[in-house]
Amino acid sequence: MIRDITLGQYYPAKSILHELDPRVKLAATMIFVISLFVARSPVGYGLATIFLVLVIRMSKVPFRFMTKGLKSIIMLLMITVAFNLFLVDGNTLWRLGFLRITDKGVQTAVMVGIRLIYLILGSSVMTLTTTPNDLTDGLEKAMEPLKKFYIPLGPLKKFRIPVHDMAMIMSIALRFIPILLEETDKIMKAQMARGADFESGNLIQKAKAMVPLLAPLFLSAFRRAMDLALAMEARCYRGGEGRTKMKPLKYESRDRTAYGVILGYFLIVTAIERGVQIYGWIVALPGRWMAVYQWILSFL
Amino acid sequence: MSIKVKNVNYTYSEGTAYEIHALKDVNLEILDGQFVGLIGHTGSGKSTLIQHLNGLIRATEGKIYFNGRDIYGEKYPLKELRSKVGLVFQYPEYQLFETDVLKDVCFGPKNLGYSQEEAEKKAKEALRMVGMGEEYDQSSPFELSGGQKRRVAIAGVLAMEPEVLILDEPTAGLDPRGRDEILDQISYLKRERGITVILVSHSMEDVARYVDRLIVMNQGQVRFDGTPREVFRHYQELREIGLDAPQVTYLMKSLKEKGAHVDVDATTVEEAADAIAAWLKERE
Repeated sequence: MIRDITLGQYYPAKSILHELDPRVKLAATMIFVISLFVARSPVGYGLATIFLVLVIRMSKVPFRFMTKGLKSIIMLLMITVAFNLFLVDGNTLWRLGFLRITDKGVQTAVMVGIRLIYLILGSSVMTLTTTPNDLTDGLEKAMEPLKKFYIPLGPLKKFRIPVHDMAMIMSIALRFIPILLEETDKIMKAQMARGADFESGNLIQKAKAMVPLLAPLFLSAFRRAMDLALAMEARCYRGGEGRTKMKPLKYESRDRTAYGVILGYFLIVTAIERGVQIYGWIVALPGRWMAVYQWILSFL
Repeated sequence: MSIKVKNVNYTYSEGTAYEIHALKDVNLEILDGQFVGLIGHTGSGKSTLIQHLNGLIRATEGKIYFNGRDIYGEKYPLKELRSKVGLVFQYPEYQLFETDVLKDVCFGPKNLGYSQEEAEKKAKEALRMVGMGEEYDQSSPFELSGGQKRRVAIAGVLAMEPEVLILDEPTAGLDPRGRDEILDQISYLKRERGITVILVSHSMEDVARYVDRLIVMNQGQVRFDGTPREVFRHYQELREIGLDAPQVTYLMKSLKEKGAHVDVDATTVEEAADAIAAWLKERE
């Protein structure tokens, strides 16, 4: 049951995507997300779809595995789509009391829905093909330029952005997700063996039923955190200063190709959207001239 | 009155890269009043198997009968099954959550619908059974020692008055004294209440002294099933699957090889001592 949550999980396989430098994948995911917001026309969305499908095929991760991540956002998705469906103004298509659906509402709802699904799928591709360690390594490296900036807090004190610490916190947090999920599963079963019921009852009863689950879970999370801190200290961990890496990140030729591909995709999407805009403008031109013409006529 | 496991198969995360075939065609019958030891290496499927017995995990294939009734049948009361087949997980102290010991042990009986007084009565009985005195009733479970916490957690399951008690590695992480205390307590319970007990362990030494039937699992299958004596005769095969017979078994074998006429089936230190004494007497 709880094992099935795939958010932030790595799927081991041998593919080009798995071998790419994590920085490339981070940048590519960001660019893909931006492209989803640039795209407004069906052509733009079509392009994003083709790109996403190709990337998923390349990743060698079963598609079924990827859609599992969507299950966790299904509520969010439905609420967003419903809001757009009922609240966007336009020409009314259907009306029932205060509820009404407009043509524009349908359009935005579909668009927003697709955008959200693609967003999750796109970022799932990244997390499924990148180990949490690689991911944080990439983040740390990508944030390195930030280390140069600081806020002076007096003559001797400077506040620098703690890039290494942030990356370490993130990698630990990611590492803890599956551990805590497994722990939840275990405690849940242990309490079920004592006759606990997590499924039936109304909202308040359900919330109350969570106490036997949450209290031990928090305790164990704190205990694990303390153990980890102790273990890190015992191995002389003192933060990022002077710390070296066993496998420093290095760009290869495939990484440069990947940058080229994602930038090319982005340029094409932008160009198409621009093109659609310009095309629309040209198509609307005769009408506009007509309006101007009529406006002049009205004076005569 | 028994638990019957028929052709049970179980696969974790079917159809993904993480797929594990944890149980392969397991067949077992556990009779009333037996004291069974379930032994296997880490990952042999023993923990998975016991979670099937109270319906926490549903078999991918196969059937399980409790007292003759199919537990996967429609309308089978799983909650009742869980009270009859009490399962104590590994490190059960991690499931404690209440503010005091008595309230925590009451959790089980109260879930079964008993009133406050009845639940408390059962809880107190269970606590005394595991050797926790009245002075601990009001203390916080988190202030107790490791061994005490474990007793409280076992009492939490006992308070539901199960017919079958399954314990998953009840001695893990305890010192030798704590280990002996817990095991002695369990065997006392077995005698006192006459319930069926299934003891899961990876230590032969622990189990050999107490149980009257031993089931050895390896890679999701039952490898050996019989009395400890019968099972330990296969000490060479046991070694191959990463399990050691009790040390006295090896001692007796080497004595025999050196020409001593001793009973090689001895499984406990006491039996071995008797066997050696008998042989010495015979020689004189």
